[in-house]
Amino acid sequence: MRLAEPADDLTPQSGGTLVRRLESDVVTLNPVLATSTYDRQVDNYLFTPMVYFDQNLRCIPALAEKWDISADGKIYTFRLNKNATFSDGTRVLPSDVIFTLKKIVDPEMEAAQIADGFEELDLANTRVVDDRTVAVAFKKALASQLIRFNNVLVVPEHVYGKGNFKTDFTSRAVGSGPYRLVRRVPGQEILLQLRSDYWGPKPYLQNVLFKVIIDATTAWNALKHNDIDETMISSDVWLRESRRPELVKTVDFLRFYTLNYNYVAWNERNPLFADKRVRRALGMCIDLPSIINNMYHGTARAMNGPFTPDEWAYNPAVPVLPFDPVGAKRLLNDAGWFDSKNTGVLERDGKPFKFDMYVFAGGATSLTFAQLLQEELKKIGVVMNVVTLEPALMFQRVLAGNYESAYIGWNLDPDPDQYVVFDSKSFPPRGQNVVFYSNPVADQLIEAGRAELDPSKRVKIYQQLNEVLAEDQPYTWTIQVSVKWAVSKRVKGVKIGRGWGLFTWYPGEFDWWIPRDQRIHDRPALAQVPGTKR
Amino acid sequence: MHAYIVRRLLYAVITFFGITVVTFALIHAVPGDPITFYIGTHGQNVSRPALEAIRHEYHLDDPLPKQYLYWLSGAVRLDFGRSTIDRRPVVERIGEKLPNTFELNFIAFLIAALIGLPAGLWSATRSGRPLERSSAVFFFLLYSLPAFWVALLLMQYFAVRHDLLPLFGMASDQAGAMSMPQRLLDHVRHLILPVVTLTYAQIAIFARFSKSALTEVIRQDFITTARAKGAGESAVLWRHAFRNALIPLVTLLGLVIPSLISGSVIVETIFQWDGIGRLYFDSILARDYPTVLGLTVATALVTLFASLLADILYAVADPRIRLGEGGR
Repeated sequence: MRLAEPADDLTPQSGGTLVRRLESDVVTLNPVLATSTYDRQVDNYLFTPMVYFDQNLRCIPALAEKWDISADGKIYTFRLNKNATFSDGTRVLPSDVIFTLKKIVDPEMEAAQIADGFEELDLANTRVVDDRTVAVAFKKALASQLIRFNNVLVVPEHVYGKGNFKTDFTSRAVGSGPYRLVRRVPGQEILLQLRSDYWGPKPYLQNVLFKVIIDATTAWNALKHNDIDETMISSDVWLRESRRPELVKTVDFLRFYTLNYNYVAWNERNPLFADKRVRRALGMCIDLPSIINNMYHGTARAMNGPFTPDEWAYNPAVPVLPFDPVGAKRLLNDAGWFDSKNTGVLERDGKPFKFDMYVFAGGATSLTFAQLLQEELKKIGVVMNVVTLEPALMFQRVLAGNYESAYIGWNLDPDPDQYVVFDSKSFPPRGQNVVFYSNPVADQLIEAGRAELDPSKRVKIYQQLNEVLAEDQPYTWTIQVSVKWAVSKRVKGVKIGRGWGLFTWYPGEFDWWIPRDQRIHDRPALAQVPGTKR
Repeated sequence: MHAYIVRRLLYAVITFFGITVVTFALIHAVPGDPITFYIGTHGQNVSRPALEAIRHEYHLDDPLPKQYLYWLSGAVRLDFGRSTIDRRPVVERIGEKLPNTFELNFIAFLIAALIGLPAGLWSATRSGRPLERSSAVFFFLLYSLPAFWVALLLMQYFAVRHDLLPLFGMASDQAGAMSMPQRLLDHVRHLILPVVTLTYAQIAIFARFSKSALTEVIRQDFITTARAKGAGESAVLWRHAFRNALIPLVTLLGLVIPSLISGSVIVETIFQWDGIGRLYFDSILARDYPTVLGLTVATALVTLFASLLADILYAVADPRIRLGEGGR
């Protein structure tokens, strides 16, 4: 017997197995080709990006321990951590960084998710400076460039340079992250193990087991049954179960906002929505306070523009569009819409105010939202038809600009650049300005925001853009719905990162630990499961 | 008999090509393609050149007939291309999930038949009596219970509340350390809830179907004749009636076999049983053309095989069918 420190809940203890839920199986373990958040959540254990985000969305050292940006903003010189090694024991070299960048920008590699952030990469002038320094060159200075390096999860050239890059690494991984891949059983599970030779500060957990559980109810039952340690939960479960005394004893219920918002897109190519007074009026018929309280039980918040309150670009002085049907009707009158024939429907030049709104089929809250708006609009003489569409069809119509109005959402980039969604040079099919919004003032601010390298000046530009967009109402921004999570109380050290939630910021999931006496998933058997190849 | 089978086979081949053309046309006629789905689900910043490369790789920039020929030339070599979702070969993706779905559905089928058929025969002999009447009501009730609801109740009761059976999946995390018999037992325990969910409605189908087939036969003259010449009740039932009731049952078999591999989206999703149903569903949503076509071909082949088998069994069970063909 040996003396040991008394165990407590405050000092992290190394070891143990965490069982996480994957809502959908990963598509590939090749980080360059990653397409989903699930891919990224697993990759984050296996690979190290050039830079991490901290709890407040700022860039901090990861593979690169320091960096310099040239005065013209075109050369990024990274010094790599000298201890950094891949899981096969080899050192991470500057040439591996260049290899990874080459794969990212090669259109044939189809890295559709990451390549966009490196469109201006100047490969000819990108070079190895010395055995731990790499200089990455760009043709154009972009303010958002540094954060794109958070997507550069470096892969070793001597492994990934052989064989078929696109297909040989879906279930294999050699990276410089704290964990190595033990096995992946497609459609079922992924087991990771802490590297004994990890070069950075070691996370506490010895094993991380991802179990694919698609069905939300099954996942919630699995958490209660102690089969898994964490899962996202629905607003419904949150409302019904998060205050039940027997559950509160064993489960932590967490709620936070991530980078996304919902909005109504008004297609300005349609003469109905070309006038900003009309867009504003229609938006003023959305009863956001009651939607937030009744549909989301207060677990959502209203948006005033394209930036969430968690982003530095957010301008708190811009008001949320008020719910004001009377004012809306007045605005429509100003724009020339009157109920001239006493039919209860507004008309202009003999044409009734009538349009279709597309909503996703299967999304119960979208449909309720649209029906509430439909009711309000009917009261002021506007006829709105709700059309439910299957997702692929909805995407096709909206992305082609082939719709009248639509209720959709965006997942946002951590950088506030609005070029692809609101610049007049980003009309479909070139970009995602699906509302065909065009305002020279906005264009100029968008361009200036992209190019400005001084962070404090950039804040001012985006706050101004926030005002302009709120005034023009190219979208009616509605709400941001909070994400709800249930984590077993056995797991300690869980923190919420701004805009990011529980995972993929630093230290994030690497700070999680499980006290020695509560490790119910630790069984020697984890090492091998029948029918799997190592 | 041979000519009969050859003719049936020929029909099957023609039908098969018809199915591929129709499926191909249908999936492409549905609006949206893998690319639009990709942009829609992946937010604002996607790289256009990379998407164009994907379009080119999957020949989505070619005219439809050409795309079909590309696909067909691969398909005849059993190369169904790679999934647009994860780029893995379609054959591999299907092969991975097929055994899981087959196992689950085959066991459910066997149990349903073993319970349903005798129950049907029993009802046929007691047709119209109060107990039989109430059993019919019971079977209809069983048939109309929605699977997702039954599955959740089973989970709640047997797994969450009483911890008698595993909640989901196909094996326990610690299965690797078990001996072979333990591992088998562990797997069987995982099978129970999904099998029950799949079986209860099928039992009702089998019971009602076999009951009506047998009742039909029992009413006929030759059964009366058999009874009149003094044959015992069990001899009448088994030797005379049941054999003749087999023909409609063969039809049922032809309908059930394809479902052995097509899987169930609901059961596979709720119990996280990694099978074909879920694969089909996800592929259609993502417009993963190669996988959808690969699965359709697989299902079509099994369906055709099953109906061919049913045709042949008819001929075996009822000589008039093959004689009628031969006599032409």
